[in-house]
Amino acid sequence: MGPSIGGRFRVSPNEFMFRKASHLLARVRRRAVEVVLAAVIAAGLVFGLATPERVDAQAPAAPAAAPAGPRSSQKAYDAQTAASDPSTPGPVQPIPFSHALHAGEYKIECLYCHTGTDKSRAAGVPSVELCMGCHTHFGGDMEGVQTLKKYWDEQLPVPWNQIYRLPEHVKFRHNRHVSAGVDCQRCHGPIETMDKVYMTKDTIWWPWLLPSTKPEMGWCINCHRENQASQDCLTCHY
Amino acid sequence: MPEIHRREFLKLVGASAGAAATVGCSDPVSKLIPYVIQPEVIVPGIANYYASTCQECSAACGLLVKTREGRPIKLEGNPEHPINQGALCARGQASIGRSYHPDRYKTPMKRVGDKLEPTTWDDAIAILSGEIKRAGNRTWMLGGQTGPTASAWIDKWVEAVGAGGRVVYEPFAPEALREATQALFGVASEPVFDLSGSDLIIDFGSDFLESGPSPTEHARQFAEARDIAKRERGGARFVYIGPRLSMTASNADEWVAAKPGSEGLLALALLKVAIGAGGGTQAGRDGVAAPLAKIDIAAVAKQADVPLATIERIGKALGAAKSPVLLPPGVALASRRAAATARAVMLANWALGAVGKGVSIPAPRDGKLPSYHQTLALVDAMKQGSVGVLLVHGSNPVYSLPPSTGFSEALAKVPFVVSLASMPDESSERANLVLPDHTPLESWGDAEPRPGIRSLVQPTLRPIYDTRALVDTLLDVARAMGADVAAKVPTDSFRALVEQAWAGTDFHAALAKGGVFAAQPGVEVTLVGSAVDFEMAEPALEGDGDFTLLTSPGALLYDGRGANLAWLQETPDPVTKITWVSFAEISPRAAEKLGGLVFGDVVEVETKAGKLSLPVVVRGGVRDDVIAIAIGQGHTVGLWSSGTDSGHPGEARGVNVIDVLPALTDESGGRAWLLTKAKVTNTGRHEKLPICQDSQNQRGRRLGLAVPLAELAAGDAHVEAEHGAADAVPGAGESAPGYPAHGEAAHGEAHGSHEMIKAFDASMDRAPDSPYRWGMTIDSDKCTGCSACVVACYIENNISIVGEEQVRRGRHMAWLRIERWVGDGNLEGGQDRLPIFPDAESSSTVDIRIAPMLCQQCGAAPCEAVCPVIATYHADDGLNGMIYNRCIGTRYCANNCPYKVRKYNWFDFALERWPDPMYLMANPDVTVRGQGVMEKCTFCVQRVASARQIAKNENRVIRDGEVTTACAQSCPTHAIQFGNLVDKTSAVAKAGSEPVRGYHSLEELNTRPAVTLLAKVQRGTVEG
Repeated sequence: MGPSIGGRFRVSPNEFMFRKASHLLARVRRRAVEVVLAAVIAAGLVFGLATPERVDAQAPAAPAAAPAGPRSSQKAYDAQTAASDPSTPGPVQPIPFSHALHAGEYKIECLYCHTGTDKSRAAGVPSVELCMGCHTHFGGDMEGVQTLKKYWDEQLPVPWNQIYRLPEHVKFRHNRHVSAGVDCQRCHGPIETMDKVYMTKDTIWWPWLLPSTKPEMGWCINCHRENQASQDCLTCHY
Repeated sequence: MPEIHRREFLKLVGASAGAAATVGCSDPVSKLIPYVIQPEVIVPGIANYYASTCQECSAACGLLVKTREGRPIKLEGNPEHPINQGALCARGQASIGRSYHPDRYKTPMKRVGDKLEPTTWDDAIAILSGEIKRAGNRTWMLGGQTGPTASAWIDKWVEAVGAGGRVVYEPFAPEALREATQALFGVASEPVFDLSGSDLIIDFGSDFLESGPSPTEHARQFAEARDIAKRERGGARFVYIGPRLSMTASNADEWVAAKPGSEGLLALALLKVAIGAGGGTQAGRDGVAAPLAKIDIAAVAKQADVPLATIERIGKALGAAKSPVLLPPGVALASRRAAATARAVMLANWALGAVGKGVSIPAPRDGKLPSYHQTLALVDAMKQGSVGVLLVHGSNPVYSLPPSTGFSEALAKVPFVVSLASMPDESSERANLVLPDHTPLESWGDAEPRPGIRSLVQPTLRPIYDTRALVDTLLDVARAMGADVAAKVPTDSFRALVEQAWAGTDFHAALAKGGVFAAQPGVEVTLVGSAVDFEMAEPALEGDGDFTLLTSPGALLYDGRGANLAWLQETPDPVTKITWVSFAEISPRAAEKLGGLVFGDVVEVETKAGKLSLPVVVRGGVRDDVIAIAIGQGHTVGLWSSGTDSGHPGEARGVNVIDVLPALTDESGGRAWLLTKAKVTNTGRHEKLPICQDSQNQRGRRLGLAVPLAELAAGDAHVEAEHGAADAVPGAGESAPGYPAHGEAAHGEAHGSHEMIKAFDASMDRAPDSPYRWGMTIDSDKCTGCSACVVACYIENNISIVGEEQVRRGRHMAWLRIERWVGDGNLEGGQDRLPIFPDAESSSTVDIRIAPMLCQQCGAAPCEAVCPVIATYHADDGLNGMIYNRCIGTRYCANNCPYKVRKYNWFDFALERWPDPMYLMANPDVTVRGQGVMEKCTFCVQRVASARQIAKNENRVIRDGEVTTACAQSCPTHAIQFGNLVDKTSAVAKAGSEPVRGYHSLEELNTRPAVTLLAKVQRGTVEG
């Protein structure tokens, strides 16, 4: 049970159902607004009033020097091309980094780069130094790696575009989820197949056949419910 | 057609319908910025703690600086540090704000016309070195006390650059006490008082719990000496002798409202009675026989305006005490005879055998000490035009020296004034050149509060602005003056200097621990035979008027250095509960004489040196012939310290009482404060004051209870016999919400409060499968009202500062407030509004109950039932959860809360009141609440949640002591205990199960609080 659980003094079942119902109504209303808006936009698309706009890459500088080191594989080049393709979902990143290549093809552990995942609430983005740890030796012929080196030479961080963002009032902890055995893919989708990362579409239809889409609270709660994890509000909100 | 992804969908929504506020959880514009090189020790999301030392006062408490991603976000006491042992006072807690203060100088500044304009360090150093070369020995340095390493080096620097000299100036310095120790024992050092083993403490107005030499340490020792559980017969008795019932005095058993200035005579009179009753050591009795023969007790009683019987009674108790400690007067009572007074008190300590036990005389320390008469001599030299360059650091003399010294005019005669302040103040605004110093969190340094206790300061924050540490700045100046000058002060940097000074120690181990703590015992002293022969007479007061002007150090603002920290302004004064403004305290009888003044009426206070007008607070805790004004307000520069905050730049906030003091010293040349009479006149104006507790009369309700020691001694058996079988249903019968029943209970049967504890078990108010029910015990007998917890709570929980005007409207945001109740209170005047301070405050038997009030995490919370959106609810572990993102701001919960602990965000206080770069100090674990959201204490649930994650990973429950709240962590006396009530062996469960003293605030409402208060113990007057 959710918020009704308390000590001896708790909300009566009737009261609880009443509250639940009013909460539900508010939610239905919210969904209605979204649906109407979607309709308006669909109409806009049909009449050619709106054109989908894409996030542009922060154009990496053209490679200046001749490639050094061994030539990278064709797979790597393909992955780079795919990661810079603005027509696929997800924003183009400042460096066309391919998770499919690193995590899928090379089978580098997620935690090798996202070092905080099993220790901290924040998974963490690898430091430029960590990237350079490998790329001092490999991939120097590739445009993306050259961009990376430019950041390194100037000692600047890479301004990655964030894909998954939770609001301030949600206190998500990566380490707890990892130690509870939740796969990264459960929230992040088949990341090892993505050249360019995007938020995968996932909608659950609970309760009463109302949709809750990732990463909204209902979606989180559904998983917590399935796994008998805490559903106490204070677990995530404080 | 490509699939329209959710992100794109949202973009379109944003483009086509700007008003659509359905943006979900993803915000496509935000960036993830990694480290370029990630420091090994930093894991984003995990806090690191570094040991350092607090620089707010000379006590030098150890700090643990909590940092997140390289930013300090909270200061806590270092548990390994022998001075504070893990606790930290309100001023120390708030000092973190200095680093993130919006006022800070961001670059060096030089005067162009009548304005200060930014410049570069190279330029500034070049200008300064040129000026010093030109001025030569007409260069002087005036500054506050620094650590021993910096101090010794600066002296060398002064010599190297050929400057005239250096004067150390601190507004509050124990010069008289050092003089007295020198005269009595031939050792020039300030005695160290240890109260922990004492059985009778007599404080001659040192206010050791608020502004004394080491408040946090003394508070801990005071609580130890009076620990009901560990000491026999209620532990040490505490007598406060002084004209005002200060915060310290509110903790006394007995208050002797002696005439200010008579403390020395009283000390000798008490000593005479004590020795007459057989007290004191043999040597002591013989040694003081001659001077005591001159003391006429009856005459002293008359002079001091204290009943003869009181002197005899306390004197006899003093004679019977095994280990008494007498504390000499502090700043407020430093009269023109301060050295003689201190000598009288120290002589009494010696004669009663306290020296070597509770009072130790440390070996004298090296290095320059603060000197007021040297300061005045420098002012004279400035007036005569013989100072060419003046460097001011670590002090604000324009504010803290009386105008009658002529400092301001003298400063105008100095051609080149340099300030090394990190923030604008009255003095730095007069400078020709400002070379901003680091804040203590950005700087290296050390401190040696006592011989053998060496404490390190290490930087925990990369300098936010283009500032330099004082020593580094001076080093640059020396280098700019030439290689020969630099060669005389050979060091690479301040850091190298500190490492060099600590060469004999394992520096890295010392850094990790916070220092090297090997306290040396005090030196063996013998009385200098001739020292007992001194004249102890009452000090003369300047001017005329019906009132003696008493200027006490601000309990929070100290000498005014705390005024620019918003938390110290917003935290209510521990006695009057007034925030942000200046006020004068007078007694009801005096108010009557002045034409029936009431709370908030504005009076004019006039002395020979000047006049000022300010509102009065009428309370019985002040002698009839005294007007008491706290030091600390009245700044004209600074965001929160001046009127700038309310939109009046350049206008003072409150008044600076130093403005009306004459510039006089005591016999030792130290600064005197108790100097003048004052005329007080009614202006006929009235002001509404920003006060946070509208009445200290609890009207017989169960808010702050007290138990007489005799009843406590009668013990549980008595309680069992009388009430054991009753098991009264809560809220029924005699404890129905009618006043008389409680009045009766509180008068004769305060111990009856145990009924409720028996009637319900707070640990049941949790989900059946939860291993936790968080609870708290607050011991009113240990709580001194110091307000460290209040500031700790503010900083831990990102609580907004609302400012003077909003406090006046009752919108104060503190989650934890400290209520001060005078006795049981009464129903005089029926339901009408009563005076804020009940008459009982003037009683010599002090009965002040201090009861911290925070969310009680009720098991049957009235707030939960009325929330229409379940934003507040009962969590599994028994906490009364408050889910900010769910709150729609109906405020029903606050209306239904009987404790008034829920606070509402009327505005976006966090945005309005957190100018850049203050957001850097926000605790990232706690949501910053926005406008229209209710907020309250949840027992630092972010700390509980962190501990729970660790415990869950290790597949166990949270251990007792593994998690504590910010308030409990900061408490110097361990009055607050936090823990799991389900675990019956936990400290909190044990403390809360005390059968006689335990009670719940407003328990008749049957809210089933998780906070158990322990009643104050009434130890009664001191008997011989």
